[in-house]
Amino acid sequence: MRRRSFLNGVHDMGGMHGFGPIVREADEPVFHEEWEAHTLALARAMLAGLYFNLDEFRHSMERIEPSYYLRSSYYERWLEGTITLLLEKGVISQQEFQARLDELTERRG
Amino acid sequence: MRTVDLEVVRSLYKLPGAVRMKLDVVPKFKPGDRVKARNIHTSGHTRLPRYARDKVGIIQLDHGVFHLPDARVSGQGDQPQHLYSVRFSARELWGAEAPCKDSINIDLWENYLDSV
Repeated sequence: MRRRSFLNGVHDMGGMHGFGPIVREADEPVFHEEWEAHTLALARAMLAGLYFNLDEFRHSMERIEPSYYLRSSYYERWLEGTITLLLEKGVISQQEFQARLDELTERRG
Repeated sequence: MRTVDLEVVRSLYKLPGAVRMKLDVVPKFKPGDRVKARNIHTSGHTRLPRYARDKVGIIQLDHGVFHLPDARVSGQGDQPQHLYSVRFSARELWGAEAPCKDSINIDLWENYLDSV
């Protein structure tokens, strides 16, 4: 998994050059894929259940490994951060998480 | 195991967006004060952007009292304190070649600031 602690994380991008223009999508949908809606709902439910707070959630995304952070999408970062906190807070165990990953990988073939 | 039912989730969306705390805390700064952002480099969480550190700005507005995000992440409680809108000129942030009339307002917690 991609979680380590970094001083001055790559998320702090103000003033950095070379990322190109911001491309606006015409008629942008709220979600591009169904898993994104699930990711939003999961994070919201965890916040509502006080498993973690909004600041911890932001920090979990700031701790994403820099090269992955830069190539990941908005909801990929949400998912990555949520998984980090679910594991760190003991809501799910590493074994449970791995078992589910294996199950999904197998199902996909 | 805590359960998160539909009602709890719905209640989240009904809450007003602001998380201002109704606490009587004496502000250290007032609009018009010159302040310098501290040179903080944490491996934890902060809302102070790197490009504003060690830069001088002017307090525009006192937003009221809020918890300090840095403290909540590092398990040091809420540390309620005033949050200010601070204006930095583009030249202060980006040097002499930046447009002379441009500026940016950044919301910064009292902990991030020293008086000049």
